[in-house]
Formats: sequence, structure tokens, C-alpha cells
Amino acid sequence: MTDVPTLGDDLKRLEEIVRRLEDDTLELETALQLFEEGVSRLKAAQVRLGDAETRVRQVLDDSATGDGPLRFESLDA
Amino acid sequence: MTEFDEAWSVSRLARVIKRRVEEDPTPIWVRGELTGVKHYPSGHWYFGLRDDTAKVDCTLWRSAATQLRGPLVEGAEVFALGCASVWEERTALRFNVSQVIPAAAVGAQAQAIERIKQALLADGLLDPARKRPLPAFASRIAIITSVAGAAVHDVITVARRRWPAVELFVINSAVQGDGAAGELRRALRIACRIDRIDCYIIGRGGGGKDDLAAFNDEALCRAIAACPVPVISAVGHQVDVTLADLVADVRAATPSQAAEFALPDRRDVAARVAVLGAALSRALQSLASTRRARMERTRDRMAAALIDQLRRSERRLLTAQARLAPALGRVVESRRNRLGRLAAQLHALSPVAVLGRGYALARAPDGRLLRRVADLPAGTGFTLAVSDGAVAARVEES
Repeated sequence: MTDVPTLGDDLKRLEEIVRRLEDDTLELETALQLFEEGVSRLKAAQVRLGDAETRVRQVLDDSATGDGPLRFESLDA
Repeated sequence: MTEFDEAWSVSRLARVIKRRVEEDPTPIWVRGELTGVKHYPSGHWYFGLRDDTAKVDCTLWRSAATQLRGPLVEGAEVFALGCASVWEERTALRFNVSQVIPAAAVGAQAQAIERIKQALLADGLLDPARKRPLPAFASRIAIITSVAGAAVHDVITVARRRWPAVELFVINSAVQGDGAAGELRRALRIACRIDRIDCYIIGRGGGGKDDLAAFNDEALCRAIAACPVPVISAVGHQVDVTLADLVADVRAATPSQAAEFALPDRRDVAARVAVLGAALSRALQSLASTRRARMERTRDRMAAALIDQLRRSERRLLTAQARLAPALGRVVESRRNRLGRLAAQLHALSPVAVLGRGYALARAPDGRLLRRVADLPAGTGFTLAVSDGAVAARVEES
């Protein structure tokens, strides 16, 4: 498993940040930190939404039982 | 001009009848008893289907006949899938059959499926509580299907439209015919070994209407239930629900629909991101203005408090000053009196004052007081201090 936050993580965290920022008893320092984090997550989300090319690969296993080494072959049309 | 001028040719009549009969090409299942079964060396079968009140002539061409599990038996009760057609040369109606299944086999198959279903139920594998939600943002999806079918293409098309960032992994498998269940299980096993897959789509493209047996395989169903991430079934059959559909986390009607279930639409997500961005900046603005207002209130309160305090201090100072001045005057006066008295006493005790009364002091040159005759042998030089100064003196006679 990877530690890089997914888009889902980013959006969930963003929602939490907005919710916390709406609480005006928040320390100003904390609020600014949250805002900065929010901006960077927002940018990350926008990047992820940018154009990308769908990668299609066929997964092959030459063993009869299906537990041999896997081979990946591009199947892009 | 007579009504005969408009008489139809036989061919026209035949064409119209043919067109009417063949209007709807959707195959239908017909149940009946086989009669007059003939198998020709060409490979084609001719037979009739009958029940108590009617009979229809049927053809089963060689191409379709290769899929028969066994020869057609006179008098057998069967299900036949086909379309009505017209043999133009004789304008004879034929039910053009593509598949024949003995009714007994259908019964046996249905019983077998029911038995497996009960076993899956007993093991809790069909429990709705087992159904896992699909990931909100799948980034890697494995598709188990035939690469020769339309399913892969359909999923790719949907992915490019909705969520192009997704990576698709295709594991090829037969989806019908003998051995398909085994191949599907093997493909699923391979899929489960690919890293970080968010969900699986298992199924086949639309069009195939016949053999769903592979998707009713008990071992395949159990393998689907054991998958580590959610499985979407897309067997592409509207009428029959397979056991794979029942055990999968989500059932889709087609591979395209499966991809739609598995992937968010990036336009929706972009809208959500925009809303969040606006909310974020609004929250900061509101935060800033709340802070400013609070700071202004605090500043005003502090200023007011400070002024108030200054005024009180001033008042206290004035009061203190008013009380201090007379007190100070009294102290000064009493000190002054005391000083006068002390000065008088001091004056009285001063040796200088004594000299004023006529006494004199004799001192040796080293300042020592000369008090006795013995201190003053003849010839001794000394100083004699009187009230207004000193004079040098000498002892003439001792």
C-alpha cells in the first residue's frame, strides 16, 4: 500500500479543514496552518483532475494454475 | 381501369408476407414436443414443434447444430430458441432455431443452481451485510473477461469519459462454454495478485444470451466472495440473474454500467473541488473579518479601560497631593525647630564657644594639647589658640 494520499483522502481532508475553519474559536495560528494545508490539497486535487490517459494492460500468467509470475502487456488501442 | 389492374404479383405477396413475419428479429424461447425429426448429411436438422393444438415447422442449420449437446430425439420435450422466418420459394413459415435444450436438462440445471444457491446462503455468502461499498475514487481496476469480447472496449470507453486517470488491468478468460468457470477462477486468482487493485469487474459483453453456466459455478462464486476488494458482476443478461451476480458486491447490467459504478465522473468531482475551494477561501475571509472585529472590540475595550485607569490614578494623585502639602509643611516646621534647638546646644558645647568666654588652648607643634606644667619646659615653642585665631608662643621660664 502506498502512503501518498488519494484524491478521496484529499477531498475528505479538505471538507474537514473547511468545517474546522468555520469554527471561529480556532487559534489564528492553527487556522492559518489549516488554510495552507487546504490550499495545497486543493492544488493536488486539481492536478489529479487534469488530463490523463487511461492505461490499459493485459495481465498474463503463463502457468496453468494462475500462480506463476505475472506479465503486463500494454493493451492500449 | 378495373380492380384487376392493381392485382399483386405472387412475388410481391410473398415478399410482403416475409417482411411482416420477419419484422421483429428478437429470438424467442418456445416450449414443445419434437416431431418428425430429420438430420440431413449436410448437417442441417428439420423437425416440427408441437403441442396439443398446434404445430410449427422448424429448421436448425448446421452452424447452430454444432452447439447441440446431443442429437434431437423424436418426442422429446424441449425449449427451442429461434425466430420465425419465411421460405420465400414456397412462402412456407419456418421457425429458424438456434438452440435446443431438453426440458429435462433445464429442470436438472435449475435444480443444480438452486442447490448451490442454498449452500451459498447457508454459508452467509449471499448476506446483504457482506456487500462492500465501492471505492469512491478507484485508481486501479481489474477486469476479468474475454479480451475478444466487447466488455474491455466498453469499460475503456467509459473510463476515458468519466475518469481517465484510472489504470485498467485485463485478465483474459473464456466466459462461456466448457472450462469457462475454471478459466474465470484462474483469472480471478491472477487479479487478486495484482497490487493495489481497488475493485474487480467480472463479466462479459452483451449479446450472448445462452450459456451462463460458468457464472453459476459454485467454486467461482466462493472465489468472488473471498476477494479482498469489492467485485462488480457484469454478466450482461437482463433476465437471468446468475449466482455470481448474487454473490458479487454490486451487480451491473453491463460492463459499461459496471465501469460507471466503479468510477466517478470527473466533472462531478471537479464541481466538488470548486465548491470546496470557494468554501475554503470564504472560511478564511470570514475568519479574518471575525478576528478583525474581535480585535477592534478588544482594542476599544482596552483603550477605554486604560483611560478609565488613568483618570482614577489622576484623581488619587490629586487627592494625595492635597493631603500631602500641609503634612509636609508640618514636618518641615518641626524639623526646623528641632534643628534650631540642636544648633543652640551644639554652640554651647563648642570649645570655640568656650574660648569666646576667655579660655585659651595650648598645643604642641604636633597638635597635642599641652595640659600640665610638665608639658611645657622652658624654651618650648607652642601655639596658643584663642577665640578668633592662634598665635605662636614660647615658654620663658618653667
